[in-house]
Amino acid sequence: MKITIKLIGPFIYAAGFSEKEFEAPRSATVESLLGLVGIERDRPKIVTRNGKAVGPLDELQDGDRVVISPLYSGG
Amino acid sequence: MYGWTGNILRIDLTTKTYKKESFSEEFAKKWVGGRGFALKILWDELKPGIDPLGPENKFIVALGPIAGIPAPNTGKAVVAAKSPITGGYGDGNIGTRVTEHLRKAGYDVLIVEGKASSPTYIYIEDDKVDFLPADEVWGKGTYATNDWIYAKYGKGVGVLNIGQGGENMVLYAVVRSLEGRAGGRPGMGAVMGSKKLKAIVVKGTKIIPVADPGQMKAIGTGDLKKVGAIDKQTGWSIQSTNGVLAWCNEVAALPVRNFRKTQHPDAWKIDGERLNAARIATYGCPNCTMRCGITIHDHEGRESELDYENIGLLGANLEIFDLDQVASLNYLCDDYGIDTMSAGCVLSFYADAIEHGATTGDFKFGDPERAKELLGRAARREGELGNLMADGSLRMARRFGHGSEAYAMQVKGLEVAAYNCKFIPGMALAFGTSPIGAHHKEAWVITFELKQTARESNGREKAAKVVELQRIRGGLFEYIVSCRFPWIELGWDLKNYAVYFNKATGLDWTLDDFWKVGDRIYALMKFFWAREIPGWDRTRDYPPMVWFDPANADKEGPIAGKILELDKYNELLDHFYDIRGWDKRGIPTKKTAESLGLDKEAGEVQKYTRLE
Repeated sequence: MKITIKLIGPFIYAAGFSEKEFEAPRSATVESLLGLVGIERDRPKIVTRNGKAVGPLDELQDGDRVVISPLYSGG
Repeated sequence: MYGWTGNILRIDLTTKTYKKESFSEEFAKKWVGGRGFALKILWDELKPGIDPLGPENKFIVALGPIAGIPAPNTGKAVVAAKSPITGGYGDGNIGTRVTEHLRKAGYDVLIVEGKASSPTYIYIEDDKVDFLPADEVWGKGTYATNDWIYAKYGKGVGVLNIGQGGENMVLYAVVRSLEGRAGGRPGMGAVMGSKKLKAIVVKGTKIIPVADPGQMKAIGTGDLKKVGAIDKQTGWSIQSTNGVLAWCNEVAALPVRNFRKTQHPDAWKIDGERLNAARIATYGCPNCTMRCGITIHDHEGRESELDYENIGLLGANLEIFDLDQVASLNYLCDDYGIDTMSAGCVLSFYADAIEHGATTGDFKFGDPERAKELLGRAARREGELGNLMADGSLRMARRFGHGSEAYAMQVKGLEVAAYNCKFIPGMALAFGTSPIGAHHKEAWVITFELKQTARESNGREKAAKVVELQRIRGGLFEYIVSCRFPWIELGWDLKNYAVYFNKATGLDWTLDDFWKVGDRIYALMKFFWAREIPGWDRTRDYPPMVWFDPANADKEGPIAGKILELDKYNELLDHFYDIRGWDKRGIPTKKTAESLGLDKEAGEVQKYTRLE
């Protein structure tokens, strides 16, 4: 299934891309996706799927847009 | 007493006199510095009901016991006065060399009283104060004024100055420093202007008294390097605050079209990636190793320094998606010395009011050239429209009528920061209960709200988080006077600030001691409101009403059909008041006042309202 990953702020430069479509296996979870983009697992972050926050064990669906962002504090 | 110099410099512009006063150790420990000092002094010295733009108001620069000492991000100052836009206590923090110089001149607080008979600037050098003519730069912008001062005194001095916005008493005029820094959103620049005070220049050469100079220096300078290293490792300052724009767009929290929409397909054109790519330089405050000010060339080729709030409110909110044009609007606000955030909301409100038939005019969303012209008219109070825009969106709405107050994006008169809370209840509460009007610096709970709770929840945990963050952000960082970014953006442990404080003062405080000071300050800020505004009630802690209007719900996207509900917001507000020990009107109870050592202040406020 196809998953679009959008990275925010410094994660873009760590992973080397800003937005990319990935081919993921049917049972892929949020956590397995993090491994694909090379962001340290223990780094504080918020992950949203289609605009709503998700946890590491949530399963993904074909066509999902997953956004991975550091924890900001506002401007 | 260590850490504090123990001195206040009181300047009277009317009589051109000044005196050095001392404050007690008890005062220092109770209010610590910055916001705490400024609030207590204004509470004690201002008569309720005075005109914020009259000579009776006082303009205060307040510092704290670690301010100006080499340690992470201590180059900040609090500027404060009774606010002309809200009518309550107003303040802001600003990165400036004034901090270090004023402390080295021997002062923790500067109080400016009265009104000069002609444009004036003050030059403070250690124990000496000169009152000097500023006619040459009166009517000029902040950049020219800054250059003029640097040409006289060199670039190393501390400078606070105002532009035409402050001179003309635009109610959201700010104070400016270091060319890129601004502070005092609730009209602190207008208060300077009302006193015909164009600038404050400070040079100090003494030593800031700390209890343990050796350890303070070793720890402070060592930690500066550590914070810089964490920033490099994490890459935070590549986009600094501007990463927030793309994220807000993804989670439907971006202000678009006067907050009518929460997302826009062109948002990427003004996001942190584009800003970083266009960067020509990076600036920061003194004692900062995670600099957040990214400059780019604006549409006219000038260097303009941007952060997320500027881009969110002068860009997305006006549907202007050309970064160089957003930079131009930002440059003009900075040069006029008016708050970029309020200016963005004033312009967006005007376009929205025209679109909804509340008034007539020829300004539309997505028109940068007309926006530039309108900014100039507001800064100069030119004509009826310029004069009206200079008074902020609430007063505009009251003039326009036709229900437009519901979509004037403000709380207590101060415009909201760049977070669209039409379906973010906790952040709406943070804006509603911000004690100086809608400001994001007091508590920013969006990430917590989305990550740790259900977005639609109005549970007690959200109110508790707002209180917790107010204690840290609006409390600790505003009264010890230091930037919150190392903690919140890089995870720098809060305990470090207790170490700096203890090494500077020789005291042995824990973080719990700090939280109590923060609660005391928040309670007194509420007393300040209750004393100023008869019949204070909880509706003044409401966010803009358009966030409760089902007709304003998003039609598509992650929060389609969702909107805040007023009865549920009231439940959240009840939780907030309960945690704080305030009554249903949002005023601290007698018991709370007593527990915070505010017995005397409670007695005073009871002349104006009953306390439960």
